[in-house]
Amino acid sequence: MMTSSTNSVAAASMAVNASRARRSVLNRKLVLTLVAWTIALMMFFPIFWMFLTSFKTEAEAISTPPSLFFTPSIDGYIEIQARADYFKYALNSVVISLGATLLALLIAIPSAYSMAFLPTKRTQTTLLWMLSTKMLPSVGVLLPVYLIFRDLGLLDSRTGLIIIYMLMNLPIVVWMLYTFFKDIPKDILEAGRMDGASTLQEIFHLLLPLTLPGIASTGLLCVILSWNEAFWSLNLTTSNAAPLTAYIASFSSPEGLFWAKLSAASTLAVAPILIFGWMTQKQMVRGLTFGAVK
Amino acid sequence: MTTTLNESVPTDTPSARTRKRGTKVRRQRVRAAWTYLAPMLVALALVAGWPLLRTFYLSLTDASLSDTTGAAFIGFENYLVKDDGVWYGLLADPVWWNSVWNTVYFSVISVSLEVVFGIIVALLLNAEFKGRMLVRAAVLIPWAIPTIVSAKMWAWMLNDQFGIINHMLMGLGLIDAPLAWTADADLSMWAVIMVDVWKTIPFVALLVLAALQMLPKDCYEAAEVDGIHPVKVFFRVTLPLITPALLVAVIFRLLDALRVFDVIYVLTSNSSSTMTMSIYARQQLVEFQDVGYGSAASTMLFLIIALAVVVYLYLGRRQLGVDK
Repeated sequence: MMTSSTNSVAAASMAVNASRARRSVLNRKLVLTLVAWTIALMMFFPIFWMFLTSFKTEAEAISTPPSLFFTPSIDGYIEIQARADYFKYALNSVVISLGATLLALLIAIPSAYSMAFLPTKRTQTTLLWMLSTKMLPSVGVLLPVYLIFRDLGLLDSRTGLIIIYMLMNLPIVVWMLYTFFKDIPKDILEAGRMDGASTLQEIFHLLLPLTLPGIASTGLLCVILSWNEAFWSLNLTTSNAAPLTAYIASFSSPEGLFWAKLSAASTLAVAPILIFGWMTQKQMVRGLTFGAVK
Repeated sequence: MTTTLNESVPTDTPSARTRKRGTKVRRQRVRAAWTYLAPMLVALALVAGWPLLRTFYLSLTDASLSDTTGAAFIGFENYLVKDDGVWYGLLADPVWWNSVWNTVYFSVISVSLEVVFGIIVALLLNAEFKGRMLVRAAVLIPWAIPTIVSAKMWAWMLNDQFGIINHMLMGLGLIDAPLAWTADADLSMWAVIMVDVWKTIPFVALLVLAALQMLPKDCYEAAEVDGIHPVKVFFRVTLPLITPALLVAVIFRLLDALRVFDVIYVLTSNSSSTMTMSIYARQQLVEFQDVGYGSAASTMLFLIIALAVVVYLYLGRRQLGVDK
């Protein structure tokens, strides 16, 4: 109603100031573009600098002033593989984050289905309780988890980390799947049930195909969160099952002389996420915001 | 509202039939609902409930990492005890109080900065300009990469002798001599905050952006036509409308900030000027192997976070109540 009453005024005032307005809009747009690009560059700079440093030799890396132009060398990359068997850590990261994601989806899909399509009086409470486990400080449960893992022989094993990452991500995975499932009209599933589909058939043949994009973005988020996790990998692994985050953390500060190697290792650790994330950016943004905003 | 499925659907044949056998069907449905929920509930109880109780129990003992079974029950002595007229225990430990103060300081400052910058970035990304998708991708990157990596990268850039930051600041004439960002007691907290803000702006910006894209466009057209200053429009129209999304973003960030660990662990490790409650508890548990005392520190951290959440939810609900 506000628009209709102001439209005529708009037309009049706009006609008067047409050219001035157009110029100021253009100026504003230019400023906006510049500011946006500046911020993007500032946000991106550390990654760029890491990338650059990874192609320097150790001597070049610590040259003053820091050099922007240099002869690129891949010594850093060769050395991290030779010195510490980089691919073992990379493989651990892949296995652990994919394993944790699949396991989390396997447990979360029935739960989210139950919450979305068979709501009971306690569904809301369950959802809230589930989310409240997100506020648990990891350090608060570190020792009991450590002791269980020691007794079960899970310390420094991929299985152990898969389990812990799955548990860590479970609340957010269930929550996101719940928001996706909730949007599916109940009638569709009911029609399937009328036709004699069992619950499992309902889930596999109706629900999953319909919500595949949502499930994909949930899984993606779970992979990234697992890939990036460091607290548990630092405290529960030593070498066998250590993923890339633990490996990178092991470059401790007294080793300040190895910045080029550290950068090379970091670049390799980040690259899959960036490539993967770039390709699925839209899905990721959707998933993340759907999970959090209502 | 279309999906809040209720039994009071208009009477077409199937639902009328359902109602006749209402109780039996409902009982079956409730049973099915809990069956599907069971794996998740058991898993969460295992990770959240049981270890937490065990941590609390350990905090009442004098256990050490080498001997957790033969520990003696000592009540609340890890928390506070008076011996010969002197108070001992966690609550009498100035180092712990320092870590509480650091945690609160870090959380308040970094979350505030993240919200302000997050809104600015979201407003920019919501506008039309050349290369918007590329900028959006670039802005997202800090969030997507591991904290360990970004913290290491910043440690390298903030290095007092060889770091690019000192070099750039000196080149611009802003400082005369290199600053020891991560070693200087006055600077290190700000270095940590800066890295955390850099990393988390994308998250807040995304949540705000999602809210911005749902806003009704005609309000803005009307405001523009009436010649109302954009800043005024922002505070009068935009901000109230995105408040619910902001509240969600703030609670997520606050929970993460209160238990911050990895960025500080990498940048300054156990330095006292940036020691937070998580770092303190881990040091007691893992490095000093004092399980009882460390568990007490963990329990206190959990209680403080729970308290913060309760207060926040209470205030947040009141705030939202005004809107409705």
